Amino acid sequence: MPVSRRAAARDGLPLDLVTRLIRDLKHRAVEYADVRFERILHENLVVEQERATAISLFESHGIGIRVLMNGSWGFAATPHLTPRDLRQAVSRAIDIARASSLLNRQPRALAAVEPVTARYASTYAVDPFDVPLSRKLDYLLWANATVLGPDAIKRVTSHMDSYKREKLFCSTEGARIEQRVIESGAGLEVVAQQGAEVQTRSVPNSHHGALAQAGFEYTKQLDLVGAARRAKQDVLHLLRAQAPRAGETTIILDPTQVVMQLHESCGHAVELDRALGQELSYAGGSFLTPESLGRVQYGASCVNIVADATLPQGVGSFGFDDEGVPAQRVELVREGRFVGYLNSRESAKHLALPSSGGAMRADGWSVPPLVRMTNVNLEPGEGTLEELCRGVKRGYLLSTNKSWSIDDRRLNFQFTTEIGWEITDGKLGAVVNNPLYTGITPVFWGRCTGVGRKEDWRLWGVPNCAKGEPMQLMHVGHGSSYARFDGVTVAPAK
Amino acid sequence: MIEEARLLGALGAVVKRGEVDAISVCAHTSARRVLRFAHEAIHQAVAQETVTVTVHVMHRRRRGVASADTLDAASLARCAKTAKTIAQHAPVLAPLPSLPQRHRARTRADHVAATVRMTPRACVTSLRRLVHLCQGAGASLAGSMLLGEDAFAVVNSAGVSCYAASTVAAAKLVTMYRKLSGFAGAVHRDVRQLDLEGLLRRSLSQSLHRQDPVTLPLGSYEVILEPEAVADLVTWLGYTAFGAKSVEERTSCLAGRMGERLFAPSVTIYDDGSDPKSLRMPFDFEGTPKQKVVLIDRGRAAGIVYDTTYGARFDHPSTGHGMPPNETEGPFPLHLGMAAGTTSVAAMIRACRRGLLIPRFHYVNGLLNPREALMTGLTREGTFLIERGRVTSPVATMRFTQSLLDAFSRVLGVSSQRRLIADPNQELGCAVMPALHLAKLSLTGRSES
Repeated sequence: MPVSRRAAARDGLPLDLVTRLIRDLKHRAVEYADVRFERILHENLVVEQERATAISLFESHGIGIRVLMNGSWGFAATPHLTPRDLRQAVSRAIDIARASSLLNRQPRALAAVEPVTARYASTYAVDPFDVPLSRKLDYLLWANATVLGPDAIKRVTSHMDSYKREKLFCSTEGARIEQRVIESGAGLEVVAQQGAEVQTRSVPNSHHGALAQAGFEYTKQLDLVGAARRAKQDVLHLLRAQAPRAGETTIILDPTQVVMQLHESCGHAVELDRALGQELSYAGGSFLTPESLGRVQYGASCVNIVADATLPQGVGSFGFDDEGVPAQRVELVREGRFVGYLNSRESAKHLALPSSGGAMRADGWSVPPLVRMTNVNLEPGEGTLEELCRGVKRGYLLSTNKSWSIDDRRLNFQFTTEIGWEITDGKLGAVVNNPLYTGITPVFWGRCTGVGRKEDWRLWGVPNCAKGEPMQLMHVGHGSSYARFDGVTVAPAK
Repeated sequence: MIEEARLLGALGAVVKRGEVDAISVCAHTSARRVLRFAHEAIHQAVAQETVTVTVHVMHRRRRGVASADTLDAASLARCAKTAKTIAQHAPVLAPLPSLPQRHRARTRADHVAATVRMTPRACVTSLRRLVHLCQGAGASLAGSMLLGEDAFAVVNSAGVSCYAASTVAAAKLVTMYRKLSGFAGAVHRDVRQLDLEGLLRRSLSQSLHRQDPVTLPLGSYEVILEPEAVADLVTWLGYTAFGAKSVEERTSCLAGRMGERLFAPSVTIYDDGSDPKSLRMPFDFEGTPKQKVVLIDRGRAAGIVYDTTYGARFDHPSTGHGMPPNETEGPFPLHLGMAAGTTSVAAMIRACRRGLLIPRFHYVNGLLNPREALMTGLTREGTFLIERGRVTSPVATMRFTQSLLDAFSRVLGVSSQRRLIADPNQELGCAVMPALHLAKLSLTGRSES
């Protein structure tokens, strides 16, 4: 008998239930099926000024069933784990696959993968769910208190997020994979106003980007209190600062901004489902069409970009993707040339690639996996920030993403950052506010004239990457050092 | 669909056993069937059901929130216990806003049985006909179709008991012909009211052109924005400007400017959760009845939306714009509308000597400088050049960057016809928007490979 919902919630992963479903699916003569049970725990703490404004715990678990029937996909998901509900879910998946086959002429074929029995668990020192709530809140309250005081400071908000995900994946091919992942992160945002000027500064990164596959030890290492002091200084400087001059110039991007540059102009552009037109009704396509693979010069020779799902601490890391494909390190751009896609078993087969690169991920049990980023990273080069600045007559160092926008083929992008610094004759100078830069993806990366050293390379998270219908918000990772670009259009965002 | 009695019964039991000073429980149950297609094949077919229950506990001037995805009594009791435990360990808050009082609502007015009954086979049959029509025109088809069923409920210890069930049907069609593509989308409570062939015609009208897209010089252009494009911009204003939180933080373009003229007198923007033309919702996630709030009144900053938390901070009653208690972005307008004008898109085109017709934008972002409502975004399918009152050439993708305070202060016309714009695959909420004729939009970039 399937285990009860309570038992599933409390007593580990429901292997019997999932195994039984796989057996049932085989009897229903599907060509392929997989069943994914997931349990997700998310704790979110928010402290504004001197008070906790949100303390919430979200718990979710359920089952997603994906079938290939008559050459077409069907997916059904339910949080109800009674035998009746699960039977209905199986029938819904099969019905919708059968209906789809009325239109589909070509069967959806899959690249082969060796089915394995395996376990994966992320590493951590301190389970954030074991840390007393009062200790976590005190940490945030202390960070906020560091910033409060000056009249110009209008609001300070800090947050802490902890995730625990447990997953069981079984397939009709014989795979049986258990995975357990813990993620931790925190951040602080301060808003200041003086007259008509309103400025924001986020540390250590904006958009909840300080998130890692790690325990509470990562959150402590972020040194939110020290970072808060810097944020206070920065935001007060920003109120008095000038905006950058409009024109073409050299910019150096801090790793916090390379994250968003990589995410929008490379990560999404190399998703093979997009390149095959499967996201046209929502997210769009890609200028990196299949015929350009291996042929198109994406950037300068110093640009090497990989998708690495094996990286410790990356929120895009895992043991196996949601098709049971092992985590891999895939080259996307080698010495400036576009050489690889993020793909799935189906899209890899479509392109006659030897195997899937293992990038099929779902943001929970209720949705089917899609081709998603893992940890898409700019490989480090050489040189310190000082060495990258050297030789720059006039330019800007830009840090911490504020806004982002890119066209539906991932060509024309525009970003603003929270803060910048003038570079004059190779030296960092005054703070600039409201910096905006814009460009065309291959032109911009083609003008990359330096990538910083390994010692300054940092891995960040993007925990809100939206894609798909129904929309899924995926946690993806990006790592980079500083990167320098010449001939970039910069303007004030005013 | 989880029925009213079961849903309210489950939430009511949690409230009854709360043993705390105050408790509010809200639930959203959802069923979605989604087909996504491209190149004449369905590549994703989803049948999904989800439940989210959020328990908000206030006890001894402390509060805690916990969520679960079940209506199972034992699991909900555990969820309530978690919320109470969180509250016991939370710092004291003073003052805590009081819960909405004694309100009872029950509605299934927007629940259409035909939408629920439509089978996957019937959907695919409709889609197959569209594919054949599209192929007959020499074009290719991509897009998505959605059928959904939702129930919202809120029960609290102050006498609130609300339930609303609804359905939704939506379609998005992208047609591709040579180097051009077109788009049309629609949403309705009743799947029978989705005019799929009409949508296909609208999409094809944008893509079936022999002429390749032209590239235009950068600069300021007169533009005619169709309702989807207007919704892209106004929805961002809803996010950055119309909620009490952004006003308190002073990042809103309305902060400190209440009563001032910000837009042209022909622009009136409001939020109305009871508008039958919208995807209406009679109460918010706190159980407060939704009020119509005029945000921009004939060009002047006129109002913002509140929930109980921000209402208490501003000494203003909640306007019924509370989000689920685990959301931290404050109150939001989810049913934005812009008042209709007197003209038509055809008349706008005739009145335009040189400009652009823009059906929708891509990737608008309003965080560049929200205080000045500075936004950027890109054109997408179906953008055409207008010359001497006639639509002439398709236009390659272009980027705009401009303050809406500037763009919406020079309005040459507002259409009398409005469209309901929503994407139930992506988010809650909708907009009922007219087309707008603007004297100037700054085009600051082009897409070129």
